[in-house]
Amino acid sequence: MEKTAYIEINNLCKTYIKGKDPALDGLTLSINKGEIFGLLGPNGAGKTTTISILCNLIKPTKGYCKINGFNVEKEFNLIKPLIGVVSQEIAIYKSLTAYENLMYFGSMYGLSKKELKERIGYFLEKMNLTKFKNEKIDHFSGGMKRRVNLIAGVLHDPELVFLDEPTVGIDVQSRRVIIDYLKELNNEGVTLLYSSHMMDEAENLCSGIAVIDYGKLVVQGTPKCLIEQNDSKCKTLEDVFLQLTGRNVRDYF
Amino acid sequence: MRKFIESVKKEFLVLIRDFEGLSLMFIMPLILVFVITLLQERTYETVNETRIPIVLINNDMDSVGFAFTEGITNDDFFDVTIIEEADSLQMEQSKDDVASGKYQMGIIVPEGTTKSIRNRVLALVNQQVPAMMNVDTANLQQSVLVDLFFDPITKDSFRNIIKSNLREFSSKIETRIVFLTYSRIIDAMTNQTTEINYPEKPVIEFDEGYVCEFGQIDVPSSVQHNVPAWTLFAMFFICIPLAGNIIKERYDGCLDRLKTMPVSYLTIIVSKLLVFLMVTILQAAVIVMVGMWVMPFAGIQPLQLGQSMGGFVLITVSAGLAATGFGIMIGTIAKTYMQASTFGAVSTVILAALGGVWIPLYIMSPVMRQISQLSPMNWGIQGYYEFFLRDAGIINVLPYALKLFLFFAGCVCIAYFYKIIKNKHIA
Ligand SMILES: Nc1ncnc2c1ncn2[C@@H]1O[C@H](COP(=O)(O)OP(=O)(O)O)[C@@H](O)[C@H]1O
Ligand SMILES: [Mg+2]
Repeated sequence: MEKTAYIEINNLCKTYIKGKDPALDGLTLSINKGEIFGLLGPNGAGKTTTISILCNLIKPTKGYCKINGFNVEKEFNLIKPLIGVVSQEIAIYKSLTAYENLMYFGSMYGLSKKELKERIGYFLEKMNLTKFKNEKIDHFSGGMKRRVNLIAGVLHDPELVFLDEPTVGIDVQSRRVIIDYLKELNNEGVTLLYSSHMMDEAENLCSGIAVIDYGKLVVQGTPKCLIEQNDSKCKTLEDVFLQLTGRNVRDYF
Repeated sequence: MRKFIESVKKEFLVLIRDFEGLSLMFIMPLILVFVITLLQERTYETVNETRIPIVLINNDMDSVGFAFTEGITNDDFFDVTIIEEADSLQMEQSKDDVASGKYQMGIIVPEGTTKSIRNRVLALVNQQVPAMMNVDTANLQQSVLVDLFFDPITKDSFRNIIKSNLREFSSKIETRIVFLTYSRIIDAMTNQTTEINYPEKPVIEFDEGYVCEFGQIDVPSSVQHNVPAWTLFAMFFICIPLAGNIIKERYDGCLDRLKTMPVSYLTIIVSKLLVFLMVTILQAAVIVMVGMWVMPFAGIQPLQLGQSMGGFVLITVSAGLAATGFGIMIGTIAKTYMQASTFGAVSTVILAALGGVWIPLYIMSPVMRQISQLSPMNWGIQGYYEFFLRDAGIINVLPYALKLFLFFAGCVCIAYFYKIIKNKHIA
């Protein structure tokens, strides 16, 4: 019985600057509903580009994607209510308080004031931010900002959440809180598409992963399968990753 | 609707937390309008009230000397000290006083000035009717030297005023003497005595006033010009915080986040427009109120309003829209905040200079006045003049309001098409 994919990425190409190397070069992927799917790859592999195309923020040069059967470019308005986005950058208003930010973004989904208040209270408590709810984001630490950024993406109970390196550059405590929450979210049936270059994190979090490099799919499967398939030398996902993508240092951005 | 209200609320919060932006929008224009109104009032007073001290030595003690003394004393420009029949010691003293700066100028009308004019006339008349005159013209002294000495800082224009005054008085007297001499000759030839009533008033008098397209108006006082002018300047200056707001939202990623949410870009941009429009209206209200009630405390005469508040509101709202539209355009097109603030500041200043904020329209040259009409601030000022100076109603304000509205529409269209083209390019 063939299950139709929840997210369908078909021969996606993206060239930012004509004549330069493409950021995506014929990427094809399918992701099922209910997965925590890890999009892994070194810096500059094309993870953010993929997520941006899925969120209709940039247009592909070639190829298309579908979410829940809707074409992203053409039917994005039908997709909007389904998705939540946790961007790589902190995308919240720095001069507003955590509460004001969440109130504003939440209301864009048409949630009532009363309902929003409850949800914001719940999430702030969960992310250990209740004490700081009336502080301006400007005064927050990096980890605190990330947590508010995360809440802003999940506040409206989306069925699919995109997370672009949600744990990059933060302290262990914040990271723990976020990872635990992502597991919890997935247990409730939410599909997560999560990008990272941290293999250990992906190994114990993801149900399926794809490793991409130079905008191309290198390998796709469950973490366990990938480790087994490769050399006996590879004991962790990180080993697999290094074997597949090479040991050269990547420093684009 | 709820999304719109929440967006307006957010814009309002972002705005009131932006201290620099707020001070740029309110404090700066208030300081500007205050200082400039005050400065212009003071210079105006200085020109009118401080007179130039001069010393006049009348050694002639005859028609020219007296006429000149009277003329120069009646002139509001000078504060005259008169010395009659001065001896050489007094003359030296006067020169020293000018050198030391006590007076800016000294004038010596020498002895025999009137007499030499008379002699000149006699010589003239003698050429025509020598029999009647009976004078030996060869020995008549015909020219005099009026001694003028100036403080070195005296401006050329003042010297020229003095010289032309002197010439005017002496030629007036010369004409008079010529006329009287001839009339005496005619009397002698016709054997009669005529009592001539020589008119003291000059033939040419001047009717001074400032002209504008609408006929004659009084020159607006400093406050009547500066309040509307700087209100407009302040309004257009909001293009910087507004463009900054748009760019920051884009750079923060907040705009990208909003793009993934079920809310239209129109809602987002209209809520900005509304909040900043409110700011411009508030700016106008605050500056006008300061003009009416605060400026008098600084000795400035209070701002006078026209009757038609409708006209005032109309021009304020349309100018506010024009300014917000301008800000939206800059915010959409500029890539960085630096670009936007530089372009915003420079263009606002240029539009203000062109539009007649600094140099009022009524003292611009006709060519400049034509060029000035390209600036939306010109339309705003003209519209405000209708209200503040001519007490005109909505009908007279309407053309300017319409132009401002079109400017707003134009800016928004440019921003819109720029966005469309750019979005295509991203593909
Ligand atoms: N806006 C852009 N303009 C030009 N090149 C870009 C832009 N964004 C990304 N790139 C390039 O595309 C490639 C993929 O970038 P990205 O998707 O951000 O990688 P990742 O998120 O995996 O680190 C990189 O080589 C990067 O330099
Ligand atoms: Mg990235």
